[in-house]
Amino acid sequence: MPELRKDPVLGRWIIIARERGKRPSDFVIVDSPVAGGFCPLCPGNENTTPHEVLVYGRENNTPNSPGWKVRVVPNKYPALVIEGDLNREGEGLYDKMNGIGAHEVIVESPNHDDIFSQLPVEHMIMIFRAFKVRIKDLEHDDRFRYVLVFKNFGKAAGASLGHSHSQLVALPVLPRKIESELAGALTYYNYKERCVYCDIISQELKQDVRVVCKNEHFITITPFAPRTPFEMWILPIHHSSAYHEQNEEQLASLAEIFSESLCRLDACIPNVPYNFVLHTQPLRSQHMNHFHWHFEIVPKLTSIAGFEWGSGFYINPMPPEEAASYLRESLERLS
Amino acid sequence: MKKILLVDDEEGIQMLYREELEDGGYEVISAYTGEEGIQKFKEESPDLVILDIQMPGMNGIETLRQMKMENPKLPVILSSAYNEYKQDLGAWASDEYVVKSSNINDLLEAVRKHLS
Repeated sequence: MPELRKDPVLGRWIIIARERGKRPSDFVIVDSPVAGGFCPLCPGNENTTPHEVLVYGRENNTPNSPGWKVRVVPNKYPALVIEGDLNREGEGLYDKMNGIGAHEVIVESPNHDDIFSQLPVEHMIMIFRAFKVRIKDLEHDDRFRYVLVFKNFGKAAGASLGHSHSQLVALPVLPRKIESELAGALTYYNYKERCVYCDIISQELKQDVRVVCKNEHFITITPFAPRTPFEMWILPIHHSSAYHEQNEEQLASLAEIFSESLCRLDACIPNVPYNFVLHTQPLRSQHMNHFHWHFEIVPKLTSIAGFEWGSGFYINPMPPEEAASYLRESLERLS
Repeated sequence: MKKILLVDDEEGIQMLYREELEDGGYEVISAYTGEEGIQKFKEESPDLVILDIQMPGMNGIETLRQMKMENPKLPVILSSAYNEYKQDLGAWASDEYVVKSSNINDLLEAVRKHLS
C-alpha cells in the first residue's frame, strides 16, 4: 500500500508509491548529452566571459587568462542585473520591483570533461570555498537579501553546457521556499526550543536507517519525506545556520562527504542528472538557533506533472530507507 | 562590402532584415536552418553572422558553437524572439544577444559595432 509522509519542516506531503522490488538499475535515465562545440568556459576562451570576480589556482598575475583551477564570473546574459537601485512599487494590490540581482557562474574546473563528483577532494574544497567567499562578498550589498547557490548536472536537470559549473543568484527578496523552511523551523523551535534539523540528525543517527554516510563534521541522509528517489541532504552535525561561517577544516570535511555521497549515487545510477541547492540563512542575519544550513541533492528521476503541480505533493517510487541502503552498499559493491 | 550571413527560418524576418541590412550597405546571404548556416559559413566566409535560435533541426546555439569552433573570432549575433535562451550558457559563445522586435535598431547597432 502507498504511504503518505510529511516533511517535518515544511509540512509538505509526499506519496511513497512503493514499487515492489524496484532497484536502482530499474530507473531509466532520460538524459541526452549536452551538445559539443566551442566552450566559452574552457581556458583560452576567457575573453568570451565577463571579467572574473574570483579565481583560484592561477600562478601568474594576469586576470582573465588561462592557468586557473576554479573561476567565478558574472553571467554574461544575467536573469537579474547588478546595476541600479531597487525600486519597490505597488500596482493596486500587486507588488513589483525592478530586476536587480547578481547572477554568477562558478567554473569548477579548467578541464571541459571533468565531472564534479569525480574531482579530487582538494579541488572540490576550492569550489566550496568559492561559494563561501562569494556569499560573504555579496552580503555587503544591502540590496540583496539572499544568495542561492545551486548546480544543474545533466541536460535533464537544466545544464546547458557540459563544462562543469555551478551558479549563484543574489536576490533582493527571500525565495518563497527558503521563507517556508525558515518559518517551519521557527515554529518547531518555538514549540520545542530545539532546532528541527538537530533533532532530525539525532533521530537519524539513533535509527540508522536513512544515514548514507558521515564524517567528523557532516552527515548525509535520505530525508524521511523525499521528493525523488535517492534525494539526499548533507547537514553539518553540529548546529550552524550560516554556510559562510565554515572554516577550512569544515570545508574540507564537506568536500569529502559531498564527494563520497555523489560517488555513491553515481555507483547506484551512473550519470544520473541531479540538482543540488544550498539552503543557508538570509544575508546579514544574526545566528539563528532554529535554522540549520544544508545542501539538498535532488536526482532527476521522476517527472513533475499535473498532480504534483496542482497539489504540491510528490510521488516517489522508492522509500528513502531502501535508497539509503542501496547508497550505503553501493561503493562496497563496486570495490 | 562586408558580408553578413543571416540564419533564420522565418521568411518574414529574412525579408525585413535583408532590406534593412542592404540599405545599410551590407551584402546579405541567407540560410534557413542551422545546417545550411554552417554550410554557407564554410563556403562564403562571412564577416558576421546573425543567428536565430529556435529553428527546426540544429538550433541556433548548437550552430553558434560549431561556427565558433571553426572561427572563434567571427562575430555572431544571436537574434531571438525569446529572452529565456539567455539562460543557456552556450549563448555565451555569441558576441551579442538581441531580442527580436519590430524596431531593428538594436540589431543594426550591434552589427555596426562588430563590423566597424
